[in-house]
Amino acid sequence: MVKKKVLTPEELLQAGKEALQSWILSENTPENNRLDVVIQTAEIKNCVRALVNAKWGYLSAITALDSPEYTLVEGSNDKVIVPDKGNVELLYHFCNGAAIITMRMKLPYANAAIDSICEVIPSATLYEREASELLGVDFIGTPSTEHLLLPDEWPVNVYPLRKSFTGLEKQNKVEEK
Amino acid sequence: METNHVPEKFIVSIGPQHPALKEPGHFEFTVDGEVVTNATARLGFVHRGMEKGTEGRNYVQDLYLMERVCGICSHVHAMAFALGVEKLAGVQAPPRAQAIRELIAELERIHSHLLWLGVAAHEGGFDTLFMFSWRDRETVMDLLELISGNRVNYSANVLGGVKIDINEKQKDAMHKGMDFLEERTEHYMKVVTEDETFLGRTRNIGLMTKDQAELLGAVGPTSRASGVPHDVRVDSPYAGYADFPVKLITEPAGDLEARFVVRINELFESYRLVREIIDHLPEGELTVRVPRRIPEGETVSRVEAPRGELFYFMKSNGTDKPDRVKVRTPSLCNWASVLTLAVGHKLADMPMILAGIDPCFSCNDRMVTINRGNDSQVWSWEDLRKYGIDYYK
Repeated sequence: MVKKKVLTPEELLQAGKEALQSWILSENTPENNRLDVVIQTAEIKNCVRALVNAKWGYLSAITALDSPEYTLVEGSNDKVIVPDKGNVELLYHFCNGAAIITMRMKLPYANAAIDSICEVIPSATLYEREASELLGVDFIGTPSTEHLLLPDEWPVNVYPLRKSFTGLEKQNKVEEK
Repeated sequence: METNHVPEKFIVSIGPQHPALKEPGHFEFTVDGEVVTNATARLGFVHRGMEKGTEGRNYVQDLYLMERVCGICSHVHAMAFALGVEKLAGVQAPPRAQAIRELIAELERIHSHLLWLGVAAHEGGFDTLFMFSWRDRETVMDLLELISGNRVNYSANVLGGVKIDINEKQKDAMHKGMDFLEERTEHYMKVVTEDETFLGRTRNIGLMTKDQAELLGAVGPTSRASGVPHDVRVDSPYAGYADFPVKLITEPAGDLEARFVVRINELFESYRLVREIIDHLPEGELTVRVPRRIPEGETVSRVEAPRGELFYFMKSNGTDKPDRVKVRTPSLCNWASVLTLAVGHKLADMPMILAGIDPCFSCNDRMVTINRGNDSQVWSWEDLRKYGIDYYK
């Protein structure tokens, strides 16, 4: 049996980049063995399929980051969150040996929707459910939207991992006003 | 009220109560006769909002918080967090600290694998093996207590190193402990690969091919038992693993038996590593200074927990508190794979298949409801376990 040549992380990243080439808007190397690529939200399924077809690693995690818009309070240096303005950034991390490719895209609060990738990777359903209930991302076509982590009686449209969330009681009080 | 059940199908609902073991989870299996046709999960009964919790605490407080994510693999969580913060701060813990981190991680793996061996044996109706393996596990628990003062949250890590050192007396105790455990583990290997009744429950059950394991993103011993050559300790060495490398262990078969064999072989590898580390422990300092405010940046910190790859994504914003800490535990990956794989298997095999991935949101001893049209029966997990054992009598 011919032993397969072991690729270095740099070669792996290069191969992954080639598979994604046509969708990359910009790229960045935040640290060793990592490649971050920004892609268009609508292309996520194509990109994931390209990596899966190229047998490039596996989906290790989907991270969602909240970046709200801040504004300065007049006469001071304190920042406050502008309600309903900002975006959620999704990071799809694929790992292959020591190499990690992260596909990133920003979704504005007003239209925080993205195609589900469960058609390509069925096991992504748990990651999608997590991001959807904790940060309010709508995964179009995801097989289950039932609560995975939050209690059944959790209020709708309240997303605990958004920066604007500071606790349920306070949130309810604001609503009552 | 009309029921929308397809007539000949039952839904077996498992969980979330479970008086006998660790953590709660809820699963629903749709069965057609004896065969499972669909499986879904509902987790979160012990969701404590830790990721959000990290954003309001400083890095030192977060280290203690993250150590408490899991009660079995507490050290790997603290280690992953500390390694991530060190990367963001641009510092590196000294070699002695890194070796001690690896040493404790391997001792933790030993206790975790022995714990799993007992649980899995119990699910298969082999309580003698369960009692023996848990008795022997006390050896490694005592060693962890001897070096850290604790049995569960060893609290060995600080940002920039470790806070415990290893002395000669402790080294002797560890050598003795490893010798004893190695002898016992040889016996266990014989049992799980030769005992006919046990093999009846494990051989060719819960098959996962290499391609499935890769596509579904299974990690750790679960994927290595399907021949996937992934181990973060080998692929991307962290802490002391570059100086004290570990041998990659895989099995091609992909069934439950292979998951036993992989974990037991990993035990032997861990015994070897523990001996090697204590015999060649580098001299030097235990800590380096880490600034209180961590410069802005993003990092990924991956470590190999006993159950597989543990993934931390961390974002800092220049203050003394993180902007975001995302934790993806190995059990989550393996749940996803087991839910897909459950389809087509017998209901009687579910206890063993679920236990086979070594779930951390443990899935043992809970309530089971069987719905059959308007008729519904309530089982406990114990009933399902007995059902499985009787089925194979």
